[in-house]
Amino acid sequence: MSATEIAGRMAGVEAGAPIRQSSLWQDAWRRYLRNRGAVAAGIVFLLIVVWCVVAPILSPHDPNRIYFPDAYQGPSWSHPFGTDQFGRDLFTRAALGGRISIGIGFGATVAILLIGVVYGAVSGFVGGKLDNGLMRFLDALYGLPYLPFAILALAIIGTVNFWTMVVALSIASWFITARVVRGQIITLKENDYVRAAKAVGVRWYAILGRHLLPNTLGVLVITIFLELPGVILGEAFLSFLGLGINPPDASWGAMAQDGRDAYRAHPHIIIIPSLAIATLVLCANFIADGLRDALDPRTRET
Amino acid sequence: MALLEVTDLRTHFFTRAGLVRAVDGIDFSVEKGKTLGIVGESGSGKSVTALSIMRLLPTPPAQIVSGSIRFDGRELTTLSERQLEDVRGRQIAMVFQDPMTALNPTLTIGTQIVEVLQRHLDLDRHSARRRAVGLLEEVGIPRAADRLDDYPHRFSGGMRQRVVIAIAIACEPRLLIADEPTTALDVTVQAQVLDLLDDLRRERDMAMILITHNMGVVAESADDVAVMYAGQIVEQASAHELFRNPEHPYTEALLAALPDLDDTRARERRLAAIPGRPPDLIDPPAACRFAARCAYAGCADSCTVEPPALRELRPGHWVRTAHPASEREAVAT
Amino acid sequence: MNEPLLAVSNLKVHFPIRHGLLFDRTVGHVKAVDGVSFEIPEGQTLGLVGESGSGKSTTAYAALQLLRPTAGSVRFAGRELTELRGEQLRRLRREMQIVFQDPYASLNPRMTVGRIVAEPLQTHGIGTRRSRRAAVGTLLELVGFDPAYTNRYPHEFSGGQRQRIGIARALALNPKLIVCDEPVSALDVSIQAQILNLLKDLQRELGLTYLFIAHDLAVVRSMSDTIAVMHEGVIVEQGPAERVYTRPESDYTRALLAAVPVPDPERMQERKAERRRLAATV
Repeated sequence: MSATEIAGRMAGVEAGAPIRQSSLWQDAWRRYLRNRGAVAAGIVFLLIVVWCVVAPILSPHDPNRIYFPDAYQGPSWSHPFGTDQFGRDLFTRAALGGRISIGIGFGATVAILLIGVVYGAVSGFVGGKLDNGLMRFLDALYGLPYLPFAILALAIIGTVNFWTMVVALSIASWFITARVVRGQIITLKENDYVRAAKAVGVRWYAILGRHLLPNTLGVLVITIFLELPGVILGEAFLSFLGLGINPPDASWGAMAQDGRDAYRAHPHIIIIPSLAIATLVLCANFIADGLRDALDPRTRET
Repeated sequence: MALLEVTDLRTHFFTRAGLVRAVDGIDFSVEKGKTLGIVGESGSGKSVTALSIMRLLPTPPAQIVSGSIRFDGRELTTLSERQLEDVRGRQIAMVFQDPMTALNPTLTIGTQIVEVLQRHLDLDRHSARRRAVGLLEEVGIPRAADRLDDYPHRFSGGMRQRVVIAIAIACEPRLLIADEPTTALDVTVQAQVLDLLDDLRRERDMAMILITHNMGVVAESADDVAVMYAGQIVEQASAHELFRNPEHPYTEALLAALPDLDDTRARERRLAAIPGRPPDLIDPPAACRFAARCAYAGCADSCTVEPPALRELRPGHWVRTAHPASEREAVAT
Repeated sequence: MNEPLLAVSNLKVHFPIRHGLLFDRTVGHVKAVDGVSFEIPEGQTLGLVGESGSGKSTTAYAALQLLRPTAGSVRFAGRELTELRGEQLRRLRREMQIVFQDPYASLNPRMTVGRIVAEPLQTHGIGTRRSRRAAVGTLLELVGFDPAYTNRYPHEFSGGQRQRIGIARALALNPKLIVCDEPVSALDVSIQAQILNLLKDLQRELGLTYLFIAHDLAVVRSMSDTIAVMHEGVIVEQGPAERVYTRPESDYTRALLAAVPVPDPERMQERKAERRRLAATV
């Protein structure tokens, strides 16, 4: 028994009244707020997202207008991030690229969650032979290298756009999520409240929807921020290789690719998208860490 | 002089929600060769008392804010962590509730006993192992020599608790603190483990503090009993005296709330439940902490305003209440 | 009508032990319950006692068909449960409910007290949303839980209060039989007495039939008309509570009774002697 548990058990007031007043999410939120690194990461993450959304709308520059006289400018008041080899404003373009990078990132993460939750939930909930079969299949897929598989998927689909990128990036990365969800469901199934629901005659879909899945939510929120960096890096890598979104649209990875030729003379063109990627990935990792601590009931406050 | 003397011990937890007065001014002593039973419900502070003596509570949030713990004339509250390491295991040993987590699953039980022996006694490996076999035999593990190199998972719960006890007594401590040692065990095994502890105490002239929520367990194993409620000792007496003439309304109520194994009319009877639940120790009432649940505390009573002091009603029988049973009867007649 | 409400005969629950790398194969069975028979007349309590691993909970789950028995028959109110499937079984579940040991694991942490107690009604399409809310209030009052806290979450309450919520849920469908699976073993003595009294009162007022499972022999005695003692998957002794406690026939029951610590130091020597004597004979 931990000291905090002892302290917790000591609290008690009038008979019948709640011994504490709190909600699970509020508690988690309070614990999250106490983690300074995670809060800072969350704020930076939000700022980046807001910048991506707002900057292209407010910017006086057309991000796709080619105007050679402005090419290769360093950062200045009118172009805070400078311009690229075609004279396009990088501040606006990086925000647009962020829309694509983050959009694909979240799109693929949602896809990963959907596939992972369905696969894992079915496997864990049904159990028995089906579970065994599904898990052996997963074991076989587990060995697949993620990026080559994404490249292959793009080649098979033939066209490259936002949605095909989402498919390519999610198709070989939902295995961990499926496994995590399956494990959660199996653990939760052993709870007496699930048994109580069965004893009452609650139908299987209500047991799954009301008693099992809502209790995996905490883990899923963490998973979003754990998967996001991988997907964003994957997208950047593909775009850097020239396999990503077609010009003139650009993701951060594609912008970095643009800056590669002149990286000695004009390093800002490659540095800016790279920094954006690194910052976002770092923030996502910090947020995931903070969420894990906040949502884990074992890290109760002292 | 008693082997262990605890005076006015206060252990508080500094938590975000507030100051939790887990142990709030308790006094007791344990004589050499005797067993003191500490009974109480969860949250009464009995485990915190044990962990305070061993200085095993994490600081923060826990802190011994006042009081003294004298073991064999030596003050424990001011010892450094290094000095404490020589006391723990060697002079004072502890047995915990859960035998499943008290042993390291990756080491054989022989390794774990030898480790303790070599840490405190100047023994070579060979004689330490010989000694380990002797200890396992003493706690009643069959074929002890063969089982020395087995891992904990090969033992049942009761047998594991015996191994834990063997480790605890390995260096011949003078005080053994057993915190709910049988709570995780089945009743037949519980009886065996309690008998074992009792035999060991007698043979080794060891003092023992037995912490439990089970009134039956203390009645069977303790010489003296302290009843804890909401961080305080509310009644203390010899086991015979306490169970024959309970004085505190809480002790009486606890005994009355227990179903009786030998009651032939048990099926028809309702149990005498205690209404309500213990007070919040973050902001305990200034008055008697049991007043809100007490059948005898009237609203005009002083005990609902100021706390009653611990007083010696009869030689050796201490009680913290304004309404001890013997005085109630005197008033009634 | 003299048929018992619940009649279990020759109930067996065997769990396969599986091994194998790619495909599991069964290499043996754990006989958790191995031929258990008992009957409970309406309005009475059968106390099922035994130590951990004796198979008492498994017996209860199998009786309620929460776990399909390997063999044997379970007759409830004249119907053979082991033959029922799907919707038929679902409808019959209204008649038999269960209260669990751990008040922390038996309530869904993401549902409010009100939703937890209303779920059985909702599941069987009983009443409207409004009438269900009223019913929840009544049920909570019945078990001594303040209905003002209907919209709170279970983790905000103490163990005893949570156990009351669990009992209210079990009562929601107005069942005939309630299986109480160690309902008080996680509670403190003073709270334990409150819950035992509540169960006794409810039985008297609602004419409930209980299958009461516990390891604490004194608790079981205070609740039961008849007793069945389980050990390693079989019932070793069965009979009226009075007889089992005063004149136990099986050695195991005797050892179990002698092992219970009694809060009376005067009788300690006598009981220890009895224990030693039994240990020598068994």
